[in-house]
Amino acid sequence: MIPTAPPRLPFATLPGGNLDLAGGFQAVLQGWGLSPGLAHALWLPLPMVLVLVAAVVGVLASVWMERKVSAAVQQRIGPEYAGPLGILQPLADGLKLLVKEDVIPARADSLLFTLGPVLVLVPVILSWLIVPFGQNLLISNVGVGIFLWIALSSIQPIGLLMSGYSSNNKYALLGGLRAAAQSISYEVPLALAVLAVVMLSNSLSTVEIVQQQNSAGLLSWNIWRQPVGFLVFWICVIAECERAPFDLPEAEEELVAGYQTEYTGMKFALFYLGSYINLVLSGLLVAVLYLGGWGFPLPVEWLATVLHQPLSSPLVQVVTASVGIVTTVLKAFLLVFFAILLRWTTPRVRIDQLLDFGWKFLLPIALVNLLLTAALKLVFPTIFGG
Amino acid sequence: MSLALSTQLICFLLLSGALLLGALGVVLLPNVVYSAFLLGGVLLSMAGLYLLLNASFVAAAQVLVYVGAVNVLILFAIMLVNKRQPMRPMRVLLLRRLLSVAVCLGLLALLVQVALTTPWALPGPPSIGEAALTRIGEHFFTDYLLPFEVASVLLLMAMIGAIVLARRDVLARDVVTGEPADQALLERQRPPFLPSQGGSSPSAPSPR
Amino acid sequence: MFGFLKQVGDYSREAAAAARGITQGLAVTFDHMRRRPVTVQYPYEKLIPSERYRGRIHFEFDKCIACEVCVRVCPINLPVVDWVMNKETRKKQLKNYSIDFGVCIFCGNCVEYCPTNCLSMTEEYELAAFDRHSLNFDNVALGRLPTSVTMDPAVQPLRELAYLPKGAVDPHGVPDQERRAGQLPQEAAAANTAANTKEDSRP
Repeated sequence: MIPTAPPRLPFATLPGGNLDLAGGFQAVLQGWGLSPGLAHALWLPLPMVLVLVAAVVGVLASVWMERKVSAAVQQRIGPEYAGPLGILQPLADGLKLLVKEDVIPARADSLLFTLGPVLVLVPVILSWLIVPFGQNLLISNVGVGIFLWIALSSIQPIGLLMSGYSSNNKYALLGGLRAAAQSISYEVPLALAVLAVVMLSNSLSTVEIVQQQNSAGLLSWNIWRQPVGFLVFWICVIAECERAPFDLPEAEEELVAGYQTEYTGMKFALFYLGSYINLVLSGLLVAVLYLGGWGFPLPVEWLATVLHQPLSSPLVQVVTASVGIVTTVLKAFLLVFFAILLRWTTPRVRIDQLLDFGWKFLLPIALVNLLLTAALKLVFPTIFGG
Repeated sequence: MSLALSTQLICFLLLSGALLLGALGVVLLPNVVYSAFLLGGVLLSMAGLYLLLNASFVAAAQVLVYVGAVNVLILFAIMLVNKRQPMRPMRVLLLRRLLSVAVCLGLLALLVQVALTTPWALPGPPSIGEAALTRIGEHFFTDYLLPFEVASVLLLMAMIGAIVLARRDVLARDVVTGEPADQALLERQRPPFLPSQGGSSPSAPSPR
Repeated sequence: MFGFLKQVGDYSREAAAAARGITQGLAVTFDHMRRRPVTVQYPYEKLIPSERYRGRIHFEFDKCIACEVCVRVCPINLPVVDWVMNKETRKKQLKNYSIDFGVCIFCGNCVEYCPTNCLSMTEEYELAAFDRHSLNFDNVALGRLPTSVTMDPAVQPLRELAYLPKGAVDPHGVPDQERRAGQLPQEAAAANTAANTKEDSRP
């Protein structure tokens, strides 16, 4: 368990010399005369609520960014009137969806119709469990880490099929089937790309994957050892998020809005929220797997040594943690930006091209990448994590 | 009772309840789509039970394989089959139902018998938690290598069979109907999208 | 063996070409991000339609001789001309005239061919309606003059690209007095007549 820190010190440190917020928080509460069990119970929901809030704020930010970047690419201004630079526009959108009438079509299956969006959203939010923003800044350092994310994201197609089926609408059903087929076929190369990274770092845990990349700053990031894997993973992740050029399930020219056709109000907002949370999550995971997670391009330890600061001092700890959070978020949003740019650059692929691309291009490439990684790991165990 | 223990107990009760009710629903509901979705719920609660037993890798694998693949496949099969044919009234339906109930009860009795007679070592061996992953891998590649490989060969066979069934043109005769297959459907090699450097592509008319 | 290698080579070359294409596309969209927006904030700002703008058609009832040329030249015979023969004057007397702008394609043939110039094109383009039948304009509605964008006090009129001074791209903040690039129509006409007279006087 977490060692008890000296009381009344807000930022206690673990033996490894890293920030321990949980211990500090509980120590403060115990300092006020609460029992250790109660302090622990009070601490438990905090990170979850914090991450939920972070996810929603991330969605607001990415929606705003999507609208602004789209506008800039098309030489428009974009949202302008809601707050400075239109920064409150996503909030206004959300409020509008919140107060809209909640319509359930007369011939729809109301139970499955309501359950569908929930099943789409919940696994995505659960996946935030494993996203590390720092050495100890994650909800749970699950041993199966990245595998948990792959497993959770495979629940999503059931929600899509459910909402597509229960809408009692041919476009919705086709969209749901397409979405499920798409996410199943892109899950395979995605898992293979992740497997290559896991092979490099000898662990499924996201924290260890990041730590293993942070020995020499920028140069030790996985992207240099896994350039092909990075591309495969990025393409698959975009396909999993159903974003352009892989947004066939919502292809408005053919399927109206796919499985979302019959949804309005808050249920539609759940789909919307889910897709953007998934986008931000994907950006975060690409950052974690390939771009060194919370690691600053220059190693923070080296900077601290240059500035003659001891690594264990509270100031350095706080600065390191904040730099870690900011770096992770920045990396994720850089990737979100590229996804948005890609949306306005590439035309939508056809369904046969999509499946061809997934099974005949990405899958063989991911397999070759995996084999190559294994071979390199055997030949150069020092560089490729022996 | 400590916080962790009571949480564990509540989770266990909830998950087992969901599992039992869901399983009953799968069997008893007349709508096959509901049954399929409930099956997903049952498999998910099973994963939750694994998680309670500290077997997180098995739980994740359960979700990935059974919920993400098998259940989605079942749903696909249900939704893609669009054949509306009236159910023919079955003869001696009551007798059939009674017989199936008897078989199920027999199986249940067997299970109960096994559960009651087995000397469960309580508490059992301590769970190895995160180390389970390594242990499973070791077992797969040492003493359980043969079943592991046989399973993969089975999957390969299933895959080849699926491809043969889906592409009715690879064989001279159709597998299902027995008629000669339409060889025109065979995928031909396409000319490369980019003409190779230097050599002129044969199909393009030479510009003059 | 070598056939297979060639296939692999072709395949990878195609993949590389596709990647290059996508990179080029990304460069184009990225470059567009630093360009200035061309937005006109519509209900508050409006572009001044050009001289030859083909907007809603204006009709002068008193000029019309009910010849029905407009109906004949219309691609879909859209104008409805309702007339009776006046026995005393032995002329057609127009009773009603209507054009359905929900169907009209604003090709301008009727305006072009009208012998008495009673049809003309206006600069009005705001034809939104709650009911498509309300777009069927009768002779009274057709006779109304549109509000000019420059006359409307609630609207900031903006010049179109072709009417901006030379080198200006953004209409915002360009002073009204500044001349447009090129010649005005009357100047062009004057230059044309001058050239013609010179041509005529030469021999």
